[in-house]
Amino acid sequence: MAAVVGERAPSTNRWLAALPYVVLALATLPILVLYVWLFYSSFFPRVEGFRPVGDFTFDNWRFLWDPLSVPQMRNRPPIVPLTFNTFIFAAMTSAIGLLVSSMAGYAFSRLRFPGRRMFLGSVLLLHSFPSVTLLIALFVVLRALGLYDKLVGVILVQTAFALPFGIWIMKGFFDNIPWDLEMSALVDGAGRFRTWWRIMLPLVKPGLLALAVLLFVEGWNQFLLPFVFMPSGSQQTLSTLVKGILGEGRFVDYGLLTAVGLYYIAPVLILFVLAQDQLMRIYAGGVKG
Amino acid sequence: MRVALERLTKRFGTVTAVQELDLEVRSGEFVALLGPSGCGKTTTLLMIAGIYRPTTGTIVFGDRRVDHLHPKERGIGMVFQSYALYPHMTVSENIAFPLELQRAITRPDREARVREAAAKVQVDELLDRRPAQLSGGQQQRVALARALVKRPDILLLDEPLSNLDARLRHDMRGEIKRLQKEVGITSIFVTHDQLEALSMADRVAVMRDGRLQAYATPDELYAHPVNRFVAGFIGSPPMNFIPADLAARNGDLVARAQDIELPLPPAQRPRGNAAGATVGVRPEHIAIVAPGEGQAAGEVYVVEPVGREQIVDVQVGGRVLRVVAPPGYGGKIGDRIGLRFAPERLHLFDPQSGDRLA
Repeated sequence: MAAVVGERAPSTNRWLAALPYVVLALATLPILVLYVWLFYSSFFPRVEGFRPVGDFTFDNWRFLWDPLSVPQMRNRPPIVPLTFNTFIFAAMTSAIGLLVSSMAGYAFSRLRFPGRRMFLGSVLLLHSFPSVTLLIALFVVLRALGLYDKLVGVILVQTAFALPFGIWIMKGFFDNIPWDLEMSALVDGAGRFRTWWRIMLPLVKPGLLALAVLLFVEGWNQFLLPFVFMPSGSQQTLSTLVKGILGEGRFVDYGLLTAVGLYYIAPVLILFVLAQDQLMRIYAGGVKG
Repeated sequence: MRVALERLTKRFGTVTAVQELDLEVRSGEFVALLGPSGCGKTTTLLMIAGIYRPTTGTIVFGDRRVDHLHPKERGIGMVFQSYALYPHMTVSENIAFPLELQRAITRPDREARVREAAAKVQVDELLDRRPAQLSGGQQQRVALARALVKRPDILLLDEPLSNLDARLRHDMRGEIKRLQKEVGITSIFVTHDQLEALSMADRVAVMRDGRLQAYATPDELYAHPVNRFVAGFIGSPPMNFIPADLAARNGDLVARAQDIELPLPPAQRPRGNAAGATVGVRPEHIAIVAPGEGQAAGEVYVVEPVGREQIVDVQVGGRVLRVVAPPGYGGKIGDRIGLRFAPERLHLFDPQSGDRLA
């Protein structure tokens, strides 16, 4: 765009073309500073305001190789099982969410059944429900089911909260597949299920991949549910660890906090970079009601 | 295999898409469902395919009633308007898909049949490509191969040519017709293009507003259209219609409109004693003659050369009649001319109902 403008009217208008970028850069700066601060804070003993104090060090990161020397880590589960828990939590919510969303999304897109509109509407309503408001009720239900303080319980709750979004996204992708393809598969001799599996699912693969990443990241970042419903140590996740370090006593070790924080968000950042193309398609694919 | 539709009706909510349709397709016959958009022809095809369930009425293949059966149990192959090739599969996977679902067919057998079907429509060079890498014509051929590979009893085609450019359309018209005769498969195709229907089908079913208007051979539809709608829909350029009074003169019957007087030969006289009629005459059945000759006088309004002939709009009184003139005709806008109507080629329709009078 800028290049095109530049070609038509050289030199003078080039500055004009750059203007939007300048404005956007200024607006983005505070957010950028946030990440930069997080990054360098983890490599210095102390930071006063924006200014690092002391020499460059990996000391804050020693929780990785020498956790026992870090007082805040001593009475917590080790970092590796915590990471593993977080991974399982994110991966399971993503997998279950994907399975249910792709089936429900297909049904909402293609089948005409009684109550379809009502279901669609109520799914959307659920999506707008803040999870905080349901905490007590969830606690009661999880206790009754014997799933309180268990990873599987939180996985189910998290998946349930993620489903409305997933279902609508997948419905949008299925809506974009021409009916002809499905009719053709039926005439070719496939049943409903095979049509879904062999024709429809491969065609919404971009949507599936994008949704998988989004659900995974949502699970990875989830704090409230693991914090509330898995209070007893061994099954905690990384987000609760960060919260733990933040809330430990009067003195907060910001160096450690930023190092753990960085460790915690690194996989998500890497995943985003790898899956960028797929994620962008979720919008290109369109979400049509 | 014979196909019979009996009192077939399909309603969507309050809208009746197809109304009490009776139609019989003989074994090996190639039948066109022809009509303007929204006439119910595609709905009919989809009911035959089993995609739509009829509201009432029956569908019979051979001696078997099929209207309760799923598409996969009907033994049909179908080519969709969009071709509906599976974008994530190669050409050979596309063609193999219907066979993949038949457990009895072994893999080597399947591959052989895919190649055979592909060769029949000349896409055997393209087996490893994906649909997006094919031209429209090639996609069409692949869709045909996929429809035929499981050797169905019945072939259905929904607007098979409408997505092709004009030249390719002409080629495929001939090829599909030839293929249908070669395979000998009972086939039904849907089209809104009367030329396609006339040129390809053994018999044409003309539909309008969900009802069958006429069901006859192309020759019959052209020569003896049963009503004004069919007469106007079949043939290009379309038939001229002239509202006229019927009167006796010197023992002969004449149809009289302003500035035109057409004597009706005995064969063209309507049954009963109608006072008025809509006279239909095709542009190719009016000749341009010297002024003062023929049954009407007019003035050239515009001339459109279309290569092998010229279409001349002629102003006669307050109306414009369309006439086909030979390529050598050198008329200019404003020329005074006479028109001679071929009397045995006149069609008379009831002015109210549009039914054929004679």
